Amino acid sequence: MPEPAPSPPAVTVENLTKVFKSGLGKQAFVAVRDLSLTVQPGEVYGLIGPNGSGKSTTMKAILGLLSPTQGRTSIFGKSSTEVESRRDVGFLPENPYFYKHLNGLETLMFYGRLCSMSGRDLKEKAREMLVMTGLEDAADRRVSGFSKGMLQRLGLAQALLHQPRLIVLDEPTAGVDPAGSRKIRDLIMGFKERGITVLVTSHLLEQIQEVCDRVGIMAHGRMVREGRLEDLIAVENETELVLADASPELLAQIKTLIETQGGGAKLVRSGHSRTTLERLFLEATEETK
Amino acid sequence: MKYSSFSPARIWTLASATVTQLVRMKILAFLLVFCVIVVGAGFAFPVMNPEQQLKLLKDVSFGALQIFSIVIAIVATSLLLPRDLEDRTLYTILSKPVPRFEYLLGKLLGVLVLIGVGLILMDIAFSAVLWLRQTMVLAQSIGALKQEGVATPEAVAQLNEFVGKQGLTWNVHFGVLAIFLKASVIAALALMISCFSTSTLFTVVITFCVTIIGHGQSLIREYFLQGHFSNVIEKLLSALLAIVTPDLGVFDVVDNVINGELVSSASIGLMLGTTALYLVGYSVVSHLLFVEKEL
Repeated sequence: MPEPAPSPPAVTVENLTKVFKSGLGKQAFVAVRDLSLTVQPGEVYGLIGPNGSGKSTTMKAILGLLSPTQGRTSIFGKSSTEVESRRDVGFLPENPYFYKHLNGLETLMFYGRLCSMSGRDLKEKAREMLVMTGLEDAADRRVSGFSKGMLQRLGLAQALLHQPRLIVLDEPTAGVDPAGSRKIRDLIMGFKERGITVLVTSHLLEQIQEVCDRVGIMAHGRMVREGRLEDLIAVENETELVLADASPELLAQIKTLIETQGGGAKLVRSGHSRTTLERLFLEATEETK
Repeated sequence: MKYSSFSPARIWTLASATVTQLVRMKILAFLLVFCVIVVGAGFAFPVMNPEQQLKLLKDVSFGALQIFSIVIAIVATSLLLPRDLEDRTLYTILSKPVPRFEYLLGKLLGVLVLIGVGLILMDIAFSAVLWLRQTMVLAQSIGALKQEGVATPEAVAQLNEFVGKQGLTWNVHFGVLAIFLKASVIAALALMISCFSTSTLFTVVITFCVTIIGHGQSLIREYFLQGHFSNVIEKLLSALLAIVTPDLGVFDVVDNVINGELVSSASIGLMLGTTALYLVGYSVVSHLLFVEKEL
């Protein structure tokens, strides 16, 4: 039996360059220079970089919202210039807004119809998405009354509605409080478990670190680092040993062992492990409920 | 789910969302204002002669219909694209499998449905008041004839014919149709301009200017064709003018309707043909501009 053809990468960006033309007498702005990256199916890929580094431009090119000046982008093997490539994509833009005159359910019905969904299937799926994103109580509420976090979750619901194989998230936690941000992070973890490919940009590096398999760091329109997260953040010549309930005597013995039989190894630091400020905030606010 | 590169259902989804969006912007409040104007015009100036009373009612009502349709066509259409871009709803819509031309068609169709429904409602209100006024005027005039003792069957028939011509006829509805067709062309023009415009104000001002020029396009064309320029230049200027500005004079049948003259089937055919031509032309150019637009 012939082997099945390997599935194409979820996202391919090949030598992408994007130049924005300026007005007469002004210099053109190069937003992305000769960028290449690949995201494999089922992977969570984080694209990070300072403001103006070209992350959003890259995402828009992948989604076919911008046409590349040079190079090409594709989704599951289909060029981003083809409308059909968007069948498999759900997109959450940074700080999304929706038609204010629609309520939560109507918004999802609207986006579902754009994806050729209809009837009872659509209604059931829309309700399921509202439940999944914790917005079931806001189904009949006008979007104009939604908080930033609710808008972000509604954005996620519309992105997931048609069961895409790839989800593109542009700053999904921008302007959201830590609890809302954690909820979004948990949703991304859920996508990963379900085998959905995720391409995400965020300024919250800790969150990227928590959810991503691979990371690309962009600066001035170029990819400056790229690779598996563990490889990128591992300090080659250091080893971490975390002990729970260790007695002072045991710690003293370990120190002595290092000093006497370490063979050049030295203890860099020791002390209590620290939680993150985000975890502390969440624990404290959960306790007061 | 099967994907099709052209879906009337998707276009209708966008159109109905556009209609709801505009309705909830309280745009149809104009309908109430219109009803007040029509009723006011219908029952004001009872001392005028029957012909003047009916003419005045038609004059005021058609004026209000024209203002409603042109203002909605220009302002509502100019608002749609920039608002979706500013609110980033355009990103979420176009990141779905929606071709850009479907988005444009949906928006245009939404505006046309809104104007069409608005005009139908206003036509119903206008026709009701006109019919009522016509009946009252006829009864008053026959009463006056009887008082004077000259209510012969011939005189009553003549009066009937005269009031009937100035009253509610199919011509009135053809006049409303002409207003709708003109508004459709203006809306398509506004959409085309908003595809390259950088602000809503620019779109509104330019569309308004082109609309004014469009009403006098035939006069300007005549000037160019009266031997002021060489033949080739004349043809080029004339063609350029016809492309850039729509010939809105074609739709000016309202004055004939007010005067009780018949709108010929040839005029209706010309209006329909002109509308189709400009709608297709402007939509194609809009698509070519929008498909290249960097979002």
